[in-house]
Amino acid sequence: MRGSSDHILTSHAGSLPRPDDLIEAWAANDEPALAEKLTASVAEVVRRQKEAGIDVPGDGEFGKPMAQRVNYGSWWRYSWLRLGGLDLHGPSLYEMEARRSSPGHVALTSFGDRRDRTQFAVAYNDPDSGITTGPRPPAPICVAPIHYAGHDAINADIANFKAALEATGVEEGFMTAVAPGSASRIGNSYYKTEEELLYACADAMREEYKAILDSGLVLQLDDPAIAENWDMINPEPTVEEYKRFSMVRVEALNHAIRGLPQERIRFHLCWGSWHGPHTTDIAMRDIVDVMLAVNAGAYSFEAGNVRHEHEWRVWQEARLPADKLILPGVVSHATNVVEHPELVADRIVRFANLVGKERVIASTDCGLGGRIHPQIAWAKLEALAQGAALATRQLWR
Amino acid sequence: MRTSSDHILTSHVGSLPRPDELIEANRAREAGEAIDDEAAATLQNAVADVVRRQKGIGIDVPGDGEFGKSVGHRVNYGAWWNYAFHRLGGLELNGPALDSRPPQRSRSGEIVLTSAAHRRDRVRFADAYADRDSGIWMGPRPTSGPVCVGPLTYTGHAAVQADIANFKAALRAAGLEEGFMTSVAPGSAYRIPNEYYKSDEDFLYACADAMREEYKAILDAGLVLQLDDPATATGWDMIDPAPNVADYKKFTMVRIEALNHALRGLPRDRIRFHLCWGSWHGPHTTDIPLRDIVDVMLAVNAGAYSFEAGNVRHEHEWKVWQDVKLPDDKLILPGVVSHATNVVEHPELVADRIARFANLVGKERVIASTDCGLGGRVHPQIAWAKLEALVAGAALATRQLWR
Repeated sequence: MRGSSDHILTSHAGSLPRPDDLIEAWAANDEPALAEKLTASVAEVVRRQKEAGIDVPGDGEFGKPMAQRVNYGSWWRYSWLRLGGLDLHGPSLYEMEARRSSPGHVALTSFGDRRDRTQFAVAYNDPDSGITTGPRPPAPICVAPIHYAGHDAINADIANFKAALEATGVEEGFMTAVAPGSASRIGNSYYKTEEELLYACADAMREEYKAILDSGLVLQLDDPAIAENWDMINPEPTVEEYKRFSMVRVEALNHAIRGLPQERIRFHLCWGSWHGPHTTDIAMRDIVDVMLAVNAGAYSFEAGNVRHEHEWRVWQEARLPADKLILPGVVSHATNVVEHPELVADRIVRFANLVGKERVIASTDCGLGGRIHPQIAWAKLEALAQGAALATRQLWR
Repeated sequence: MRTSSDHILTSHVGSLPRPDELIEANRAREAGEAIDDEAAATLQNAVADVVRRQKGIGIDVPGDGEFGKSVGHRVNYGAWWNYAFHRLGGLELNGPALDSRPPQRSRSGEIVLTSAAHRRDRVRFADAYADRDSGIWMGPRPTSGPVCVGPLTYTGHAAVQADIANFKAALRAAGLEEGFMTSVAPGSAYRIPNEYYKSDEDFLYACADAMREEYKAILDAGLVLQLDDPATATGWDMIDPAPNVADYKKFTMVRIEALNHALRGLPRDRIRFHLCWGSWHGPHTTDIPLRDIVDVMLAVNAGAYSFEAGNVRHEHEWKVWQDVKLPDDKLILPGVVSHATNVVEHPELVADRIARFANLVGKERVIASTDCGLGGRVHPQIAWAKLEALVAGAALATRQLWR
């Protein structure tokens, strides 16, 4: 993975706005028109990232189906189509049965029963509040042994992305894949325990991780579950219990990436990208050691929204291993206002002063696609690049 | 005006979420009619409730939520100045909607405001502004607008006296010593078509003279007067193409002088001035930096200055106070929580923001506030959670700053 050896590198968390014709192509889902549209769209989005000043681009997650402009879920719903053993017609994540946790027994409840959502139910249900998260499709139930069935899809994604990188002359690019802890939050009527389902997901998804890494790309593991599960446990557990619960998921992930090249793996943690109040987000300081237990070479996390901006101070105490990088979010999907480049620079410098400028890659809180208007998403990436340039001037003078 | 003598005081910019029954009761007022006794009682009770609730969560210097300034929809960004159209004589209210006015181009040395619909940020991000899913929607737009057709006079005496009576009764009932009431400044109020006055400046000063009546009424009642004057900052985005900063400052100082004219002889120590860049949820890429207009703001004869500092376009501007000297007898009310995101500010972030200002201008001179009014701009549940975060953050800052 490139480090910020002579300037602050820029990247982002993955999802970028899909062009309308790609959204239409996904809705129609007609081959070969979709495949052609994907190849062309990925080429264009890589070119545009380069133009905006993004050093380490992604494929915008364009190969992960999204048939609507507003969509917060494609980053993991795509895996439902790449895993065998699932019945895809279960209740939506919101309609699943609510579950209550108790001391010594931590269980994830439904999306509809999340604590922040319950506390702000009126706001979440108001179409004018800006919290709407788009469609709520049926969610899968695991009914048979899980296996990876997405080889063709991932190979097409890799081919499109590598061709686009080559055409623009960009040396390094990243591709996202969902981590088992996040992917396994589906119904299960086959495995005896949640842990068996989790490890089955880990073994299956490992195929995708290997494909991405074998192709020479950087692998980004998307695992918001490590942070946002906290809000999905009702009532609130103790931090100790939560960490134990989450470490099971981190160990499954480490099992899935065993023997794979850590220096090309980055891990993305977030608290959920919906535009809610987020008052029940767990503090970074409580889970930073859980995050650092992932055998990745770099860590991406939210630091550019008002619930987590102050948490740069965590790095006054947390020790980042010498060979690892961080990708703090310095622009965010959480507001339509475009970050001022000077604010972006201030945020970068705070991290650089704590962990060393070479180990900071300026990034976004979360994917921008589906969460914010395309025009605003691109303006934010431009602000990110401008802010990184300002920070570079300060840090390398 | 109270100062943060032994702890960081909290206040906010004015507008708070209207209860649904008040929105309903205000429909008559929206149409320019007088409200009946039942609606008046609803308003009175709503003001009592909103003051009690502010006290309950720990807001030190409350307002009346601008509840006397009617809104006809939960989503509303305009009540803070539209209310004035019903309190000024000389206006024809059935003119063309303000949004429908044609664009105006400025030339070097000859600055004119274009229409709100042709603001530069709005033009640059036209698709986003027009998309109902983008979150920028500003509520139902008025289908008509005011035109000045005769001499401007203040006709809102009964309305402002009712507001004052409601608010003072509420403060008394809650046992609170100080409260603020907002009123629009002439430079922001007069941005409507004029068919009567010979010059723009005549019109501006007529507006200043008329609105002075309202300022006096609020101050005579013993309340703190907050002058809402976003035009001082948002005018920049309304000038196309962008002027140079010197020309803009000259243009804006004319409006500041008119405001000072309206305030002459009034007790400055109970006047606070609110500056903002417009509260709509747009990208705001064409906001003028605070650094360029801070001396214009400080030229207002007020005792305190409220401004946005809690959103991502203006958060970094606390550094302005490293170079700018705040006169010794004045206060600032920086926005440390904002309407610009649904995410509720973490109290530690709020405390960090307060401490940055306190370390530059002195803790006694900082009142923790919001960027802009919360009412109409974020969901009521979120608005109140933000005020609670403001109070929690101010308490954290107090512990740091007074230890």
